[in-house]
Amino acid sequence: MNLSPELFDAIIKAGAYLGAGIGMIAGFGPGIGQGYAAGKGVEAVGRQPEARADITATMLLGQAVAETTGIYSFIIALILIFRA
Amino acid sequence: MQPGPKVLAYFLGNENLPITDTLLVSWLAVILLIIFAALVKRRLKMVPGRLQAGTEILLTFIVEQIESMMPGAGRKFIPFIGTIFMFVGIAMILGIIPGLVNPAGDINAALAMALMVFFYSQYLAIKKNGVGVYIKGFFEPIFLMFPMNVLGELAKPISHSFRLFGNVIGGGIVISLLYQFAPWLFPIPLHFWFDLFMGLVQVLIFGMIAISYISVAISD
Repeated sequence: MNLSPELFDAIIKAGAYLGAGIGMIAGFGPGIGQGYAAGKGVEAVGRQPEARADITATMLLGQAVAETTGIYSFIIALILIFRA
Repeated sequence: MQPGPKVLAYFLGNENLPITDTLLVSWLAVILLIIFAALVKRRLKMVPGRLQAGTEILLTFIVEQIESMMPGAGRKFIPFIGTIFMFVGIAMILGIIPGLVNPAGDINAALAMALMVFFYSQYLAIKKNGVGVYIKGFFEPIFLMFPMNVLGELAKPISHSFRLFGNVIGGGIVISLLYQFAPWLFPIPLHFWFDLFMGLVQVLIFGMIAISYISVAISD
């Protein structure tokens, strides 16, 4: 069994692209987390409509922190796609 | 399609000092901020004009954000935090203009700002409690936690910078994909969504997290 260099490169590329796609499954987590934060934010605004500005700012900050893992997986996917 | 900064020239022909388009746009942002500051500073009055009133609204907003986490310290940190807010904000707005790129889409710019916040917060922690208490803080609650505490502290600038960089470059990639199959008219609403709305939300978040890192550093 002898692999030509072109085939070898193609296998590496295929692995990298598949890895990028599989890695973006991590997008589930931030989606659920941000949706949960948004839902709780709506509940809070429904209970205290006068505190809307504070609740929105706190919700956005919490969502940004929840997003971190998704951003990590996104950057790993970018590295896999553009450096493979 | 290759996202990210493009090398335009080399500084004094040195291969290790590339001049990228993001670097030029960040210089442009700095120059615009200096011109803006000079214009506002030239005639300050007790009864503000239109420009001064707008600037005061912006600065009061930033001071309120700082005061919400560190009561009474708003005016002390407004030079540092306000600069971060205004630089990232003007970078986002410059990114909309065709031909210019968003400096925050370069990991070097985002990481530089995150590292400034990191070193400044460490400096404030040492200055407040002294070196002894600062080093002892890494051995809390027991000395076995030392590597965890150090790693947790070092992860802060990385997550801080990646959050800004990832959001900006993600929006940029979606827009450039749309440019490939619908170059006319369709990308305009996406520019407003990704660059203006998400961009300005990211400015707020980047600044708020910088404030929270500083407030954690000076609280204990």
